[in-house]
Amino acid sequence: MPFARGAGFDEERVVERSLTHVALFAALIAVLGLIPRIDLVAGVPVTAQSLGVMLAGTVLGARRGGYAALLFVALVAMGLPLLAGGRGGLGLFVGPSGGFLVGFPAAAYVAGWIVERWTWAPLGLAALAGSILGGIVVLYAVGIPGMVAFGGLTWSAALAAMSVFLAGDMLKASIAAVVTHSLKRLRPASVMSRG
Amino acid sequence: MLTLTSPVETPLHRVPAGAKLVALALATAGLFALRDPVWLALAGLGLAALHLRLGRGLARHGARMLRPLWPFVLVVAVWHGATGDPEGGAAVILRLLAAVALANLVTMTTRLTDMLGVVERATRPLARLGLDPRAIALAVALAVRFTPVLLDKAQALRQSWQARSPRRATWRIVVPLGVLALDDADRVADALRARGGL
Amino acid sequence: MPSADGIHLSAATATLAGRVVIPPLSLSLTERRIGIVGRNGSGKSTLLRLIGGLVAPSSGTVRVDGIDPSGDRRGLIARLGILFQNPDHQIIFPLVEEELAFGLRQRGLGRDGALAAARARLAAEGRAHWAAMPATSLSQGQRHFLCLLSVLMMEPATLLLDEPFAGLDLPTTARLRRALDAAPQRLVTVTHDPAMLASYDRAIWLEEGRVAGDGPPAAVLDAYAAAMEERARDADTHLAG
Repeated sequence: MPFARGAGFDEERVVERSLTHVALFAALIAVLGLIPRIDLVAGVPVTAQSLGVMLAGTVLGARRGGYAALLFVALVAMGLPLLAGGRGGLGLFVGPSGGFLVGFPAAAYVAGWIVERWTWAPLGLAALAGSILGGIVVLYAVGIPGMVAFGGLTWSAALAAMSVFLAGDMLKASIAAVVTHSLKRLRPASVMSRG
Repeated sequence: MLTLTSPVETPLHRVPAGAKLVALALATAGLFALRDPVWLALAGLGLAALHLRLGRGLARHGARMLRPLWPFVLVVAVWHGATGDPEGGAAVILRLLAAVALANLVTMTTRLTDMLGVVERATRPLARLGLDPRAIALAVALAVRFTPVLLDKAQALRQSWQARSPRRATWRIVVPLGVLALDDADRVADALRARGGL
Repeated sequence: MPSADGIHLSAATATLAGRVVIPPLSLSLTERRIGIVGRNGSGKSTLLRLIGGLVAPSSGTVRVDGIDPSGDRRGLIARLGILFQNPDHQIIFPLVEEELAFGLRQRGLGRDGALAAARARLAAEGRAHWAAMPATSLSQGQRHFLCLLSVLMMEPATLLLDEPFAGLDLPTTARLRRALDAAPQRLVTVTHDPAMLASYDRAIWLEEGRVAGDGPPAAVLDAYAAAMEERARDADTHLAG
């Protein structure tokens, strides 16, 4: 009995691999939020959570990456303290960051989709584009309305808040690209976004 | 792995999770339909009373889970104060706090297994599309099992960095961590297949 | 009157996650080869982390060559290196030469200088071909050796080792032990290996964060082994009863 049947889904030996990769990357998204902040560039510490979301897509591809992010969000919703800072629970979804949480699966999916489709670009470049379009554009597109609707901020305040994080997130996207490239070199068969 | 469910039993623990979630959705919609800060304040008081009724520890935990919201409360308060709309500001703040507290109340009074039950029931119709319900339970179990494992490995990598550098660890540790996650995934997949597969 | 040189703990305590792992401990470690033995959970690793400055003492003081390990990180790293158990949780950089160069770069050496030094060291060990290889393509024993080299390259005066050969086969262990025996620095090793301790100057037996034995390795190991036998027998009667 396969994990999921879909058009063109390769059932040969990959069912269990898909499942375990989805689960492990859900764990990775959690871990990257739970460890103390790391430096993107000397002296610029950030929480690496959204880096995990980008990587889920760029490394595993659209479907598995999306599932991994979805699994992570579901676990947080079910009451596990897996969000950065050891937070969790349903309250997060009706609060200011609710939109971003809900946007994680879409962000990972889009990031993976670009890496999978843009085959004539080198992996690093595709991963950069995917991370920006998925991890920033799509994520903000869902997150910022959430901040306005649930956080009570005005549009201008929400956009101002976004601009503070934008530079850091662009850096994260470039790092996601470099990391994806490195992982492909070290474990070529495991980076499923580029078969 | 510890969840956010309150270990102290309350009457709400016995209410079926599905019912609580539906009630939460309706109540939250109701909160967002209210405009008058007076009504919202009353709702908030009722909610606070409910927390205290269920237990002091639970009430304290619920209050603690509201703490990360203070920057937003501050911004909203300052903005609405400056634009001469204190009532609007009060409404926004009260609604935010009440909605979050209510949702967290469901989290604190619902066990993980009950939440999983709701998810499994909700995704059952998808089985017709080929989604194996056992897969969901297994994926949840694996993710929960491996988060502390990966976390330990991440801490070890940070220590390896700190043993050689006085500066904070950089993004570079994400590469070996990613390799470890990929290798763990392969190992567990092999173990699964050895046990007869999914 | 203890000299500033050496490792000195003065009523140092370590509390992790609310639990007191090490109650007030006072030790002076000045010998050249010191072994630390004890059961799992006895506080051995925590003691190492206290000395290495990865954990700050909750009270009391720790001094390494006069330096506060958790306070003066830069100063400590110049004097002390740590080798952890699992190379896969230790190697950060993809390529061997990058991993070797990392410590030197953190000490201020430029990228080219550090890489040159890394390659030179590999050549001196007869492994020049490792330089541009991914660390993951090395065997387990070779990865252990890589971690050892990475730490030795920083030329610390003291080296802390946390069960460095756990899980390795005998020939690899022997090879690595030879490399360590030749090391000029002070070694403080957490180990179970009696063969390794045989040549050591001093052994400290840690039990629940307290010193249960301290002195020549042979005597301490005998006492430790006897105590472990007792425990095993007690556990058996407990189970049988």
